[in-house]
Amino acid sequence: MSSFRIASSALFLLLVFVLQETLIAQINLPIAGFSLYLFALIGLISLEDRSGALILGFLGGLILDLSPTTDSPVGQWAFTLTIAGYLLSTNKESIGDFTTRPLAFVLFVSAGVTFSLFVYLFIGLLLGENNGSLARLVSIVLGNAFWTILFSPVLLPILPRLRRLSLTSRERI
Amino acid sequence: MAPAGNNRSRLLLVVLLVTALFFITLDLRGVSLAKGSRSVTQSVLAPVQRAVSSAFSPVGNFFSNIKNFGKTKARVTELEAANAKLQAQVIFNKEIQGELTQLRGALDLAGRAGYTVVAARVIGKGSTSTFSETFTIDAGSRDGIHPDMTVIAASGLVGVVKSVTSTSAIVLLMSDPSFRIGVRIARTQSAGVLLGEGDASYILQLLDPAGTIKVGDELVSLGSDGNKPFVPGIPIGRVSSVDNSSASLTQQATVIGLTNLQTVGVVSVITKMAKQNPKDSLVPTPIPTVTVTAQPVPFTPPVLLPSTSPTPSSSPTPSSQATK
Repeated sequence: MSSFRIASSALFLLLVFVLQETLIAQINLPIAGFSLYLFALIGLISLEDRSGALILGFLGGLILDLSPTTDSPVGQWAFTLTIAGYLLSTNKESIGDFTTRPLAFVLFVSAGVTFSLFVYLFIGLLLGENNGSLARLVSIVLGNAFWTILFSPVLLPILPRLRRLSLTSRERI
Repeated sequence: MAPAGNNRSRLLLVVLLVTALFFITLDLRGVSLAKGSRSVTQSVLAPVQRAVSSAFSPVGNFFSNIKNFGKTKARVTELEAANAKLQAQVIFNKEIQGELTQLRGALDLAGRAGYTVVAARVIGKGSTSTFSETFTIDAGSRDGIHPDMTVIAASGLVGVVKSVTSTSAIVLLMSDPSFRIGVRIARTQSAGVLLGEGDASYILQLLDPAGTIKVGDELVSLGSDGNKPFVPGIPIGRVSSVDNSSASLTQQATVIGLTNLQTVGVVSVITKMAKQNPKDSLVPTPIPTVTVTAQPVPFTPPVLLPSTSPTPSSSPTPSSQATK
């Protein structure tokens, strides 16, 4: 993963983070909200190789750790998404190229978002955080999964195109 | 033997995980890593949130109202545009009216208790990926707001100020699972602890083993030492059901909050406590209901006089008035 792609991906994720915190968070969706940021990050991770997924997961997690509304310690999201990046990239190798199989792409990203949220909650549990009742947490995570599946077909085609723009001429070959 | 790429990625995984754990450890050991970085983020995000908050709703309504824009005749187009503009203005006015009503209610509540308050608009809400229940408001340290100040709305408590920048503040809502507040039952003066549950309902744990809770009991804040983070006497909620199981040492109840946190648009932050404790003076008094019971009047057939001709009358008969 080139340093240009790391920088451009981080910039893109920062923009999505601002959009998430300022606009998406204000929309009162039923069941639970939709995390555009997690969706974009897992979407980008699923297009990368193992090293790229790890770096993106860590960087993306650090950006999410900056959220002023969160109570968790800095590094919890970075830890979570590094693990998610590793596991998703390892499993992705067995699935192959997503760009020709939209349904697999949608399901993989939705499963990745859901898995990341569960890992985050599990780490929070180990750190002694109080995130509320199990029913509330399950409804938030499953609600998020529902909205991710619903919005993915509309938003996912954008990600491979954006990624292609950040590829160096050597990486395109 | 594993390929070199796999070994490299595993090494990278270990390095990144150790770095993340290092950050977590630093944060948990009190190094103000989170406070500084999140304060900077909040300072950057607050102006954008304010702009989005003020622009998003009217624009959204405007576009939904001018869906028929684009007719062929110039006159019709012109009129529709004018109409849409007026409708958007009306919606905008309604929104302002709604905010004014909420503000009036919040100021009225604060005024009755004699609190000094700073009014603020809600410009952002916590995203679901953070799992915490928060608001961002458009007033900060420049307006005299500091962490651990009580935040109220027209009907009662909203939460407590968690962090502050010069122009904005994050409010931890009373619905957050980590939220705890000492409360007093207005009827019996028994003290208890109210716990946030992540939604509109709360758990009340009574501290007094001999105390009793009844459905409909009103709860007010007990107040904290030095009035921080909570001032006393703020209405909080109403008991909706009582758990009478003998398993717990103290009595528990489910409480419904008086403030609908989903619809709050304007809040007041209490910056200065009243000279006197308001005690139970802010507890909402139920609106008296008047029951009118209509007495059935026995039907009496009209007496027809043979000498007079029947004339149409518009006034109803007494019997028909009573039965209506």
